[in-house]
Parts: sequence; structure tokens; C-alpha cells
Amino acid sequence: MKPAPARPGLRLAGRLLLYLTVTGVAVLMILPFYWMVITAVSPAPDILAFPPRWVPTRLTAEHFAAAFAKAPWLSYYQNSVVVAVVSVGCSLTFGLFAGYAFAVYRFPLQHLFFFLILSTLMVPVQVTSVALYVLLARIEWVDSYLGILAPNFASAFGVFMIRQGIKAIPHDLIEAARMDGAGEIRIVVTIVAPLLKTTLATVAMILFLGSWNDFLWPVIIINSQDLRTLPVGIALFKDPYGSINYGPLMAATVIATGPMLLAYAVSQKFMIRGIALTGLKG
Amino acid sequence: MRRSRRPIVARLRARHLFHAYLFVAPVLLLFGVFRVVPAVQTLLYSVYKVELVRGRFTFLGLENFQALLADPGFRKAAVNTLVYVAAIVPISAALGLGLAVLFNTRFRLRELFKAIYFAPMVTSTAAAAMVWWWLYNPQFGLFNVLLRLVGIPDQPWLMSSRTALVSIIIFSIWKSLGYNMIIYLAGLQAIPAQFYEAATIDGAGAPARFWRISVPLLAPTTTFLLIYNSILAFQVFDQVFVLTGGGPAGATNVVVLEVYRQAFERYNFGYAAAEATVLFVLILGVTVLQYVYSRRFEVTY
Repeated sequence: MKPAPARPGLRLAGRLLLYLTVTGVAVLMILPFYWMVITAVSPAPDILAFPPRWVPTRLTAEHFAAAFAKAPWLSYYQNSVVVAVVSVGCSLTFGLFAGYAFAVYRFPLQHLFFFLILSTLMVPVQVTSVALYVLLARIEWVDSYLGILAPNFASAFGVFMIRQGIKAIPHDLIEAARMDGAGEIRIVVTIVAPLLKTTLATVAMILFLGSWNDFLWPVIIINSQDLRTLPVGIALFKDPYGSINYGPLMAATVIATGPMLLAYAVSQKFMIRGIALTGLKG
Repeated sequence: MRRSRRPIVARLRARHLFHAYLFVAPVLLLFGVFRVVPAVQTLLYSVYKVELVRGRFTFLGLENFQALLADPGFRKAAVNTLVYVAAIVPISAALGLGLAVLFNTRFRLRELFKAIYFAPMVTSTAAAAMVWWWLYNPQFGLFNVLLRLVGIPDQPWLMSSRTALVSIIIFSIWKSLGYNMIIYLAGLQAIPAQFYEAATIDGAGAPARFWRISVPLLAPTTTFLLIYNSILAFQVFDQVFVLTGGGPAGATNVVVLEVYRQAFERYNFGYAAAEATVLFVLILGVTVLQYVYSRRFEVTY
């Protein structure tokens, strides 16, 4: 809303209130992140100090060393990266071709197929996990990359977004390419894909984020410690029977969340806009 | 293409049909095998006793459903999930709207604040919950330390069945507030400024403009958020798993965690499938509501 023309005193009070509210909420939002980092780099006595030590007496890397000694974080990174890259790559490729087919062609059963694909949005893995697990157990995909990837090789959201994007491309461009003798696959790869860069980038970002932060399905399908993704690694890092040591635990969360937060710091405008415009995939 | 002569049209059509099916085949195949079949199978399993190791399926009819309706554990989980949905959905929408109104004015560092509010949204729920688990620690956690500083007695947070669910809800509001704000902000910015100018000339104050212009014109945004948030909230799992594991004494158990426990800790696949079916019906209900209420805009989630 546009601020109404008001008396200067009232306006000043209003501005003050605005800044107080906005800053207050920002402090609440950032506090967990701040405390995570501070706990991770503070020497043990600081962590339990009262009143709280907002700035550590000295910086220490001992908690990071302890976190690395207790769990194979590099493997977790590798697992998260492999799963995210393969699932995003496959979803984009398959989605690009399927989206093109749905946007450009008219063919029998088209609407049924499209409806079926979109209807999978309504049955998330939270609902299908039981039978999916049984199926994957039968083909021996449990506790493997393929198992984590199985429900994520394609994305209904991706197909939908790409179809919308292709519908906005002037059909003449595709016709002209056909006149020039380009095959359909070549048209998709060399004409449509470059025109759709923004959509593809947004979809890729959202799918990557979804895969990177996915927890339920990996925690179901993975048994070996070596195959854990970062969220599973961090959730199972908390040893329920051992004594709890908060320094290494927070160092571990810094390790797990750091790269995504850095990527966010660099590209927050793109990420916020993408997520807001499209609705984040659950 | 349509204006050219028939044989060419027919040939082109045949070629296009080939490409059409070729292009949709991978997605259909993958979704068929890994999404549609398991969805149907889950519904089927719900009327069986499934013994995976022996490969034995015993037909039970509705016995699983009767059992889970009588099961205090499942009932508690269902009630907790409903309470969670009923709390998180309106609260994060209302707070999001309030903040969006503030952010719809121009002020310094607005973009920075926006980025800060949104940061929890891009963070892994499991990892963020781990940080909150530390913050909620009754003895050394920052929340009780801060309360002590201002002379308020310690709270048990996750340790008491009275406060545990509320603590999880607070975490989830923190996690989703930025998203709700950004969506409302986009809605607010789509409202033409003339509406507000006209209302101001007619003597409407800021509250009147908010209730008479912003709120009604934001109705589609509100509908979207309520539905999107409810569907996600029904599926709550990560933060419960990390923060409480459903405890203490089932006080924060939720439907998805219950499904997880039954299926993957106790291997009651049929029973778990029945629980998942209940969850599916809940999600379906919300989706149907969406169709009834608003066919005007396409929603993706």
C-alpha cells in the first residue's frame, strides 16, 4: 500500500514502527543460523556459558574435526550431488521432450496422459512409499542410488512448466525450422531449449533444491551409512544413545547447510523469484 | 500445415504421432512404474496383510482400517496432524500477509530483509530442525537462556507433551513464513495503485484500504496458500523426525511418521498402506476443495 499523506510526526512514528517490526522479525529469522555458526566455532566452555557468549572468546576448528572424524561428510556430499544432478538432468531432458509433445502436437490420449502425469502431484511419495519400497525391494534397488532416484527421474512439475513455456513460443519459429528440414529432435534441442533458458533454469533450480533437501524418501530407502545424503546424514548424526556434544553437531549442520546457503546468498533474487512464481515443489 | 494438401498432411501427422509418443514415452513409463503403480498398489495393500519376507499376501477386507480407527497410536497421530494443519496454515498465512503489507512500502535494505526472511525456506528442513533441537535444549539451549535473562522460568519445549507440538509448530512457522510473505507480496504488487488512490480520495484510511481492497483482491492468493500449505502440512515429517521422533509418548506423532514406523520399523506394510490411504484421502479432500473454490487459476505444487 502507498503510505497515505499524513502529519510528519505520525509518519515518523509509522516509519519507526515499520523498522522495528521488520528488524525484530529479521533477528528472529536469522538467530538460528547465527547460533548454529557461533556454536560450531566456539570453544566448548563458551557454548554452555551463561549469559550466552554472542561472540566466541576465540575461534576453533575442533568441532569440525570432530564432525569429520565421526561421519563421512565428503561421501554425503557426493551422494547428494550425484542424486541431485542425475535427477535434475533426467527430469529436464525427459520434461523438455514431453513438454514439447504436449505443447506442439495433437495426438490421441494426449489429455489422458497429461492428466495422469499431473495427477501424480497429488500422490506424493509420502503416500506411495510403502508400495514403492516393496517394488524396489523386488528389483533390488533398495539401498542404492537407483533407489533414491526411482521416484525422481521425471518431474510432473517440470513437464507442466516446460509445456507452458513452449506454448508461449511462436509456432512460426518451429514451422520455419521444419521448412528448413530440421528434424523434431533437432528442433527441440537447438531451437526450443535455448529459447526456454529462463524456464529451464528456474525448473532446474527448484528441482535441485527439492532433491538436495529431500529427506523422507532417502531415509526410507537408504540403510548404508556410506549412501546417506546430507539431510539423512545430519538427521542420523545425532546419536540417540551417546552423550550429546553440541559443538560437533552444529559444525555438522554448518557443513550440511553451508553450500546451499552460500548459493542462496549469491543468487537469492533468482531463487526467490523462481520459487515464488512457480510454487515450490513439496 | 493445415492448409497444405491432404497426403502431406497425413504423412506429417503420422510422423508427428510417432514423435509425440516417442517424446512422452519416457515420462509416462517412469511415472507409470514408480508413481502410478505404487499409488494403486498402496490402495490395494491397505486391504491385505503383507508379509514381505515370505512374499505372502492375506486378504483382510477392511480389517486394517477398523484396526487403525481403534488404534490409539494412529488416532493420536491423526489428531496431531489435524492440529498441526489447523495451526500452521492460518498462522503462517496471516503473518505472511501482515509482513507483505509492510514490505509493500519502500524502505531501506528491503531486499536484504526479504532475503533474510526467505533463507529458512531454502535450508534443508532436517538440518534446520537440528539447529532448533539445540535451541530448544531445556538446560543450555538459547531459548531458555534468553528467557532466563529476562526472568521468565524455563520452558520444557520438546520435552513435555504439553509444549512439544507447539514447539514444532513454531519451528514450521519460522521455516515457511518467508514463502507466505513473498507470495502475498507478489499478490499485493499486482493490485493496481489506482484502487488505493481512489479509495484515499474517498477518505478511506489505511485499515479500510487494507480490509476493503487488499484482502478481497488477494482472495485467489489466499486460496492458493491455504491449499498449498495444507497439502504440505498434512505431509509433515522431517522436523518431527529430527526434533522429537514423535515423542514424548506420542504427543507429536504425525501420520507420515506413523506410516514410516509401521512400514519400515515394524514391517506392517498392509497396515501402513491403510494409514497412507487415509493420508491420501485427506490430501484428495483438500484438492477437491481447491477445484470447488477456484477454477480460475492454475495451481502448481
